[in-house]
Amino acid sequence: MVGGMSGSHRQQSLWPLLLRRIGSALVTLIMVSVVIFALAGLLPGDAAQEALGQSATPEQVAALRHEMGLDQPAPVRYAQWLAGMARADAGQSLVAGMPVAEIIAERLPNTLMLAGMTAALAVPLALAMGITAAIRRGSWIDRAINLASLSMVALPEFLVATLGVLLFCVKLMWLPSLAMVSAEATWSETLRSCALPILSLTVVVVAQMARMTRAAIADQLDRPYVEMARLKGASLSRVVLGHVLPNCLGPIVNAMALSLSYLMGGAIIVETIFNFPGLASLMVNAVTSRDMPLLQACAMIFCSAYLLLMLAADMVALIANPRLRAQ
Amino acid sequence: MMDFSRRSLLAGMGAGLMPATAWGAALPKRGGSIRVATQSSSTADTLDPAKGALSTDYVRHFMLYSGLTRIGHDMIAHPALAERIESADRATWHITLRKGVHFHQGGELTSADVVFSLLRHKDPKLGSKMASIAAQFTQVRADGRYGVVIALSGPNADLPAMLAQSHFLILRKGTAKPDGNGTGPFKLAEFKPGIRTVAVRNPDYWVSGKPYLDRIELIAIPDEVSRINALLAGDVQLINAVAPQSTKRVESSPAHVIATTPSALYSNLISRMDRLPSGNPDFIAAMKHLVDRPLIKRALFRGFATIGNDQPIPPFHPYYNPHIPQTTLDLDRARWHINRSGLRGVRLPIYAGPAVEGAVDMASVLQEYGARVGLDLAITRVPADGYWSTHWMRHPLSFGSTNPRPTADLVFSLFYKSDAAWNETGWKNPRFDQLLMAARGEVDENRRRAMYHEMQAIVHDQCGSIIPVFISLIDGLDRRLKGMNPHPMGGLMGYQFAENVWWAA
Amino acid sequence: MKQFASLWAKAPAANRIAAAFVGFWLLLALAGPWLAPHPVGAFVDEDVFSGLSARFWLGSDYLGRDVLSRLLYGTRYTVVLGLGAALLASLCGTSIALAASLCGGRVDEVISRLMDTLISIPSKILALVLVAACGSSLPLLLLICALTYVPGNFRIARALAMNLAALDFVAAARARGEGKWAIAWHEVLPNMVHPLLADLGLRFVFVVLLLSGLSFLGLGVQPPYADLGSLVRENISGLTEGAPAILAPALAIALLTVGTNLLIDAMKPEGQ
Repeated sequence: MVGGMSGSHRQQSLWPLLLRRIGSALVTLIMVSVVIFALAGLLPGDAAQEALGQSATPEQVAALRHEMGLDQPAPVRYAQWLAGMARADAGQSLVAGMPVAEIIAERLPNTLMLAGMTAALAVPLALAMGITAAIRRGSWIDRAINLASLSMVALPEFLVATLGVLLFCVKLMWLPSLAMVSAEATWSETLRSCALPILSLTVVVVAQMARMTRAAIADQLDRPYVEMARLKGASLSRVVLGHVLPNCLGPIVNAMALSLSYLMGGAIIVETIFNFPGLASLMVNAVTSRDMPLLQACAMIFCSAYLLLMLAADMVALIANPRLRAQ
Repeated sequence: MMDFSRRSLLAGMGAGLMPATAWGAALPKRGGSIRVATQSSSTADTLDPAKGALSTDYVRHFMLYSGLTRIGHDMIAHPALAERIESADRATWHITLRKGVHFHQGGELTSADVVFSLLRHKDPKLGSKMASIAAQFTQVRADGRYGVVIALSGPNADLPAMLAQSHFLILRKGTAKPDGNGTGPFKLAEFKPGIRTVAVRNPDYWVSGKPYLDRIELIAIPDEVSRINALLAGDVQLINAVAPQSTKRVESSPAHVIATTPSALYSNLISRMDRLPSGNPDFIAAMKHLVDRPLIKRALFRGFATIGNDQPIPPFHPYYNPHIPQTTLDLDRARWHINRSGLRGVRLPIYAGPAVEGAVDMASVLQEYGARVGLDLAITRVPADGYWSTHWMRHPLSFGSTNPRPTADLVFSLFYKSDAAWNETGWKNPRFDQLLMAARGEVDENRRRAMYHEMQAIVHDQCGSIIPVFISLIDGLDRRLKGMNPHPMGGLMGYQFAENVWWAA
Repeated sequence: MKQFASLWAKAPAANRIAAAFVGFWLLLALAGPWLAPHPVGAFVDEDVFSGLSARFWLGSDYLGRDVLSRLLYGTRYTVVLGLGAALLASLCGTSIALAASLCGGRVDEVISRLMDTLISIPSKILALVLVAACGSSLPLLLLICALTYVPGNFRIARALAMNLAALDFVAAARARGEGKWAIAWHEVLPNMVHPLLADLGLRFVFVVLLLSGLSFLGLGVQPPYADLGSLVRENISGLTEGAPAILAPALAIALLTVGTNLLIDAMKPEGQ
């Protein structure tokens, strides 16, 4: 539907698609916010009750509820929040009593850094593993890589992280057990304190990416065009890199984007174990304290990150396989 | 209970509490910086003492602010910012403030600051945790620059102890949003809710010579295993809430040690007495005989607990009644009571969750023994999230958790009085209520003790609050950290370690 | 069956071992609770974290319960929940993806937005909210796990289907005038099977691990029962002393997940 043009006009034809994607991203964001708002409405208690805790008296709860604006009906609160977002104002945290933007600004860079560094390690590793395994299909290398990637996901995340801490922090004392990132820390300090979280997350995400890469390539290897190219005398690795990879880049990049989106909101266990001040634990915090504006802000960030990754994946797939655009 | 000498006790009565001799007799040393990890922290972290809800808050507040009184290791209130606190009738109290105490941001402490700090708890909009106690203040007024008069709605001998709680720490008058400006041993350098608090030494602290440390960084590591690992890896020097299962690990490290505090903290099974079947006296009697207290102490707490007897006053409390017979596991009696109650084979859900320490495992113990006498107890595990607002006291059978309170009166008034908001079991015992009110105004110490003894006996015999054990609090620390002397009011020296410890590296 | 027998005969030893593994776990999941020597919640050992002994083959856990018995029960929960959720997720995800890729247009758009919405809410946080709101129960856990992995499967299946639909043989089928569903069934689906099976295997592994992640956050199976991940979590303080109470369930998870994946690799038809 979108620009059924030939390959020579590739660049121009991507723009309307991009615009349309931004439009649908906005729709998705609004849908997520509605779902989050509705889900949070199911939760027992509200921010006023949670803030006052065990010791709340009914008068106190009522007073605080009024103070927080929780005595207004839910649709009104949602509309107010949406209006605020339209002005790029994420609102005031009900619990911390400061702007949501300020709280987020404290933690977003941490999460982005952790996700970025993990991706920088995991993506090349996964590609190398997947491609090598596919090229050497059936060989001992293939089996070894297969077994390695399987064992990586064979243990619960918290066990892998805890084992890492026991070995590298408690026993050998090479690395700090806490990922205490602060503005004063130098790059090497930050890297050192984040080494274990990065490794733990890499172990979690790399297997899926490597296996999807291998599966997608292996699936193409039996196609006639590979055989043709081979008959023409091209080496297998050249065929894979030159012909097969572009053809199956779609599913590979898709799997990678999916795995990487896990690094934002899914890092909760690693954040907990290493005491990393990231967004996932902030969002759990927002759920438990019923801090709606904060919860929504976190959800919006995770959703945007996911959408951006998917957009990137689709762009890569389109560029690699122009025929898709004819759809 | 506590390893403190008579000498340190007497010293404590004077100018603050001197470090006792528990961890080394070396003289305190100035300087050093430590990092401390507690178990809980969130965006709700606050600089407002009135809103303190978690151990991290209490530690932070005791670093930054001072109180009128403080509870000593003897569980008795001692003067702090209040030089004297006196009353003839226990209803009107006269406080004389210490002179020459200064706030971090300048200005001398006066009666106006105290009046402001106490009265703000009565504002429902503030959301003070002490609102129900502050309701007893009918009047708080200044009497000169250094005098304060507090009038109570009825006599209460425990006012000095109540004022020692962290929530009643003193702020500068007119502070709308507390920012750490207090008269405490440390000044605020950095505060990020849910991330960390950094405090630096206050050179003008009103207790001369203290504090010893230059800097304290306070963080929270909610995951227990990670907290222990951080201690053993040398990333933090002091932690609280060490699980009994982890003590072996800490003790096996040559550089670390644990500090145990027997405390009045308990997790109790609440059997609602205003509902059926949990209100059936035979059912309650059966449940009390189904609790294998030694097993709970041994298996759940690895010995780091004191056996309880279904009443909230622990054996080391001054008012403990030692004459109540200990209830023990007795399956025959439990079976007899169950048969009489007609509840054989009826499915009864128990609500338990990680919000209450040991609750799930205690419920498992009860379930196991219950099955042997024909009781079908079903454990419904509920998440910590929302536990207090949705499950606690809301079901016929649920678990509660009660932190140490400075006085027997507070525990009884908050959790066992007929009209208390948190009368967990919903019981109504006129004799108990009458004794409670009488004890508040009773001047004769022996008569007062006798009243508290009788109250304990009534709760033990008739109330649906089942208290298997009192849980000891366990801190873990680096051996170079000196001056830590466990305090029955809570871990980390009753959250007041900051001004008492020093670094001997 | 005959096909299976010939597959078995032709399969290399490693694959047969994998199949045997999976069969073993399925059997344990079915029969485990009857084999358990002690009740699942009974405090049978005075000591905690004890080692292997004649009375307690796999020692005792952090409360002095029999590890072997708890493991046998735990296997059932993990296998049933994992398999159920993975199959449910793959079935839903793939059918929706086929529908979306073949109908295209508005249908595809709406479905894709819905899936995006679902996937961009972090699963553990979704679980936290749902469990807090509805209370933990087995059907809810199954639903959460399935819901978590529907969009992932959908994305992959859709990408595969789209790629295939762009290929010549599908275009040829379309030119022959075959209907949408016939194309889906005969042309597209068979060519997606292997990557999707690999995906199913990993998804099973993920559900097993998600369950253990949920137990880390205190949202797992209700006590006295526990899935394998919960067993690891509740005994984690025994890790430093190498207690069988933590090693046994960790090993069980590893063998279960690796075995499953090896089997799925083995099921790949020869000579495709």
